[in-house]
Amino acid sequence: MNMNPHRSLKLWLQCLCLGGLLGLSCKAEDFSVAQPGRTFVFPRDHGSHPEFRTEWWYVTGHLDGSNGQRFGFQATFFRQAQPDGEQIEHLYLAHAALLDAKTDNFISEEKLNREGWDAASSTTQLDVRNSQWSLRMIEGSERLKLSITVRADAALELELTPSKPLVIFGKDGVSRKGSSPNAASHYLTFPRLQASGTVRVGPTSHAVTGEAWMDHEFSSSQLDEGQVGWDWAALHLHDGREVMVYRMRREDGLTDAASTLAIVGADGKLDQRPRDAFEWKALGSWPSPHTKATYPNHVRISTGGESFELRPLANDQEQGGSLTGLPYWEGACDVLDAKGKVIGRAFLELAGYAGDLRRHLGNP
Amino acid sequence: MIAEVLIILRRCALRHWRLAFKQQVVLVLILALGTGVYLAMRLANRAALAGFERFTDGVTRQADWTVQSAAGSLPMSALREMRDALGPRPLHLIPLVESTVSPAIVEDTLVIGSRPTWRLVGMDFIGLLNLRNDAPAGIDPRASVRHGVLVTDGFAKQQRIAVGESLRVIVNERIEPLTIAGIIPRIPDLPAPPDHLLVMDLPDAQRLLGKQDHIDRVEVLAQRGDAFPSVRDETGALLKQVGASRWLVLDREDKRVMAGTMTEAFRLNLTILSLLALFVGGYLIFQALDGVVLRRREEIGILKSLGITDATIQVVFLAEALLLGLFGGSVGVLLGWAGAQGAVLAVTRTMSALYGATNAQHASLQLDEVGLSLAIAIVTSVIAAWWPARMAARTPPAQMMGQHIAPYAGQRYGRIEWLGALLMLVALGLAECPVWRWSSGARWPLGGYAAAGLWVLGASLVGGAVLRWMAQWAKPLGRLSAVVRVALSHLRQPSVRHRFAVAALASAVAMTAGMAVMVASFDHTMRSWVERSMKADIYISSAGAQSASAMHGISRSTVDALRSSPEVSELAVLQATQITFQGGSTWVMGSEPEFTTKHQLYAWVVAPPSEWWHSPENALVNESFTERFNLHQGDAIELPTPHGIQHLCIAGIYADYGNERGSIMVPRERFGAWFDTDMAWRVALMLKPGANAESVRAQMEATHPGLSIFTQSHLRSEALRIFRQTFSVTYALEVIGVVVAVAGLGLALASLLLERREELHTLRSLGMTNGEIVRASALEGLGVATVGTGMGLLAGLWLGWLLIFRINKQCFGWTLAFDLPWGQLAAFGAAVISAGVLVAAFVSRRINHR
Repeated sequence: MNMNPHRSLKLWLQCLCLGGLLGLSCKAEDFSVAQPGRTFVFPRDHGSHPEFRTEWWYVTGHLDGSNGQRFGFQATFFRQAQPDGEQIEHLYLAHAALLDAKTDNFISEEKLNREGWDAASSTTQLDVRNSQWSLRMIEGSERLKLSITVRADAALELELTPSKPLVIFGKDGVSRKGSSPNAASHYLTFPRLQASGTVRVGPTSHAVTGEAWMDHEFSSSQLDEGQVGWDWAALHLHDGREVMVYRMRREDGLTDAASTLAIVGADGKLDQRPRDAFEWKALGSWPSPHTKATYPNHVRISTGGESFELRPLANDQEQGGSLTGLPYWEGACDVLDAKGKVIGRAFLELAGYAGDLRRHLGNP
Repeated sequence: MIAEVLIILRRCALRHWRLAFKQQVVLVLILALGTGVYLAMRLANRAALAGFERFTDGVTRQADWTVQSAAGSLPMSALREMRDALGPRPLHLIPLVESTVSPAIVEDTLVIGSRPTWRLVGMDFIGLLNLRNDAPAGIDPRASVRHGVLVTDGFAKQQRIAVGESLRVIVNERIEPLTIAGIIPRIPDLPAPPDHLLVMDLPDAQRLLGKQDHIDRVEVLAQRGDAFPSVRDETGALLKQVGASRWLVLDREDKRVMAGTMTEAFRLNLTILSLLALFVGGYLIFQALDGVVLRRREEIGILKSLGITDATIQVVFLAEALLLGLFGGSVGVLLGWAGAQGAVLAVTRTMSALYGATNAQHASLQLDEVGLSLAIAIVTSVIAAWWPARMAARTPPAQMMGQHIAPYAGQRYGRIEWLGALLMLVALGLAECPVWRWSSGARWPLGGYAAAGLWVLGASLVGGAVLRWMAQWAKPLGRLSAVVRVALSHLRQPSVRHRFAVAALASAVAMTAGMAVMVASFDHTMRSWVERSMKADIYISSAGAQSASAMHGISRSTVDALRSSPEVSELAVLQATQITFQGGSTWVMGSEPEFTTKHQLYAWVVAPPSEWWHSPENALVNESFTERFNLHQGDAIELPTPHGIQHLCIAGIYADYGNERGSIMVPRERFGAWFDTDMAWRVALMLKPGANAESVRAQMEATHPGLSIFTQSHLRSEALRIFRQTFSVTYALEVIGVVVAVAGLGLALASLLLERREELHTLRSLGMTNGEIVRASALEGLGVATVGTGMGLLAGLWLGWLLIFRINKQCFGWTLAFDLPWGQLAAFGAAVISAGVLVAAFVSRRINHR
């Protein structure tokens, strides 16, 4: 048993939890597959869908303190089904991260629990929690309450109010991730939420306001054959538009045809563009001293004559993946136009640069 | 002065050490024995208790709080309630279930406590991942399978079992196979988990133990960070506020106190006994150092003539005593450590049988204990040397150098005799002091212990006077021969050495006699109680219940199967659970009052009204309960149960020597409703006339291999065996005390004969042979031994009374019938006197030959 603790923990997780959790043992036919034409009913569909294998609620945003502080935050709640003998057991993984842009101090934490007293998600409304972290929709409204801590070093208590209506990405309610019929999800998003509340960093509390993005996605398979990871970004532009873009990366280095860019107009109108309508170009990269992975975290996204340069507020915004063994980069960025003017703020996610995502998110 | 002291030490003291090397070795050994006994008891005591503590440490090393139900288990829903109440505070809540399990053995010897008892803990392996490196006791879920049980490497080696193999254990009345899923790895810098710890994933353990949707406790670990500086205190306060009467919130210290309280009385008794052994050793050290002064008197005289001051002489002797203490203490540390390795097994076995699973730990030595032992040896040595050193310093040089030695006798004697009587009177008064009560129900009979100490000291001082009276009274016997006359003449004017020899012997004999009286009374009472309360033909419990506090039960279906046996005429069930009452752990039992009344199973201390069980608030309590919680018949009890507080009234008090933690007895129907269980803890069977208990037992055992089935006679003998096992350590200590005292008698006589060198020459000149001189010394020894032993036996009778009616009653709450083991005491007295005479003759012969 003289294993490196990190390695052995990862192995254990892979074997025990996430191996089963993310598709090694489950059959797709045990779960529902995202189907076109689904009629979404709210608030029920903000809640959990245990008939799907994987589900997440993903909140990212930028916050400004009254004294000039600037923070980027992320809170993610995952649910994943895995078989346990004859039964299906649901595991809940959660990530929380906070960047203090003034000090470049980035802290993050993960949690993993069985479904039960300390981790659960309602099937009738948005009410998901993992240990002391929670995200819930206030009854009778679309306002959200987010409560997270990052270790015992920081705490966030935020109220998030949608300033734009919910968006359902994809075609006919289905967001495709690959050519396989199973590689698809239902992808619901509040593209712009007004955030207010407090951020406590160490002993100091800051009153904050800002803007956030929330994804709610559920599926039974995420990665298709030949895919090794994805890059994703959500942009809040100062002109009132939002951009969501993901590109599924293939092992041959190409971008999968299922990749998409979507622009939510200031009026809420959704403009979804296929793979060949945008370009994703890396401008710089950051080699992680923690995991040795190299993340292309400075990128330019071009579409329809516009260019959006995503420049990270800090390089080290890597989530360690101590529980999952799957580190990834998820960080707060500024958005610059072709002239170098800041025209918005964004969150960029780079997955599959460290560890093998296919092992966990592949098609069973 | 320091230079002078050092020179004298080197040139005189150390020279004597070299010349009388053997004597110095004996002296060092005496000191070593005294401190060694104390240390051995202390270490054994701590190691046995550590069996409980290390288990707690192993699982909850960093827990800030432990939450447990006051009665029964906690529902899982309580966890959610706790989490909600604690809000966003960064806390790990770790729910646990735990139980003892024992291996299923094909050929059971039916000796209670003979099977190993292991502690099975169920923890959420997934949730534990959140602790990362804080994972308790190395329970880092690195095993490759989740189902099964994790064991320590030590356990796997002991049981010769490998990963993937199966272990058969008894859970309630079932035999369950457990697959060894992996080895709990050692994590550097964390304490090793105890070898008797088995760990399972929580849901599996809940299923195995029949505790679905329930947990036994929650360990709460606060994450530390600047954003939540007072999270620990806030958490404790919130949990207490929300839990109110439903659960208890304990911090590390509370847990230690609770574990300590459970075995408090037992451990306190051991410590007191080991201190008494040291007390007797103190006499011996005094006598030995007194002899040293005596042997060097000419030298002291010369030093004084050369101008060395009295103060320097005194300091030299004290410095020598300090050195002796240091050497003796060092050897004592080694002896104590070695002795503890044997004693720990006896102490642990007793604790395990009485209080539940603890495992034999090595009695490891800690620096503070080494320091304490050395300090005890040095302080004892210096105190014992004080008087001889003072005598050496104050005696004029001429007297020192003269051959005639005035015996150390004088005006003080009258006062000491008077003081002895006074101390005994004070002891009588102290014996009436009430017990010191702690809030947790723990009791310290401080008055009783002080009375015992003063009584022994007083009796030993009075012994000197008795020696003089006896010699005076026996004066006519001097007509028989010159040998008798010589012996009596010394005893009529007893020196301090005579008195100390008598005192040491009287102390040791008194303690042994007192203990013998208590044990005999206990034995007698236990026999009567066992005969009265164990009237059923067959007794049944889970084979997993290897200690008095193991909670494995028997399911209703098995009870029904036993009832349907054609040989059974009556079956009664006893249910039990442990609760926390007024901060201390106690028992609640559910019985069948009609059965117990019909067969008159209770020995009443205070009888209840007839058919007391018809009144819903009535309950019986045992004597220990009333003593522990200071309650009486008619008093109200607020009994915590999972269904809230039940208000009860004490209807009657019964004698019960089964546990000293106390128990509350209610009818079984009420017990079942309050604690949501129909599991039987014990089952008693009455057989039809003509049925053979042994064959019924064998038949039932074959049908139910997970049960321990005892016939009446076997269970009675087992009960008495466990009881006697409890006193095994006590006996060992007493023997050491008596050996030390007899050795002291020899040393005292050696000093006396050295002191009387001139007189011996005169006696020889007058025609006394060496043989006659030896006989005279032996007679002198006989006198000292007889008075010491007689005084000790007499004092021991009252000491026995004190132990039975005060200390035992206050510690355990048990009423015992006084029983005097005449034959045993007489044989013991004769043995001590004979040993005294033999030692005296031996010492006299050696000195005469020189």
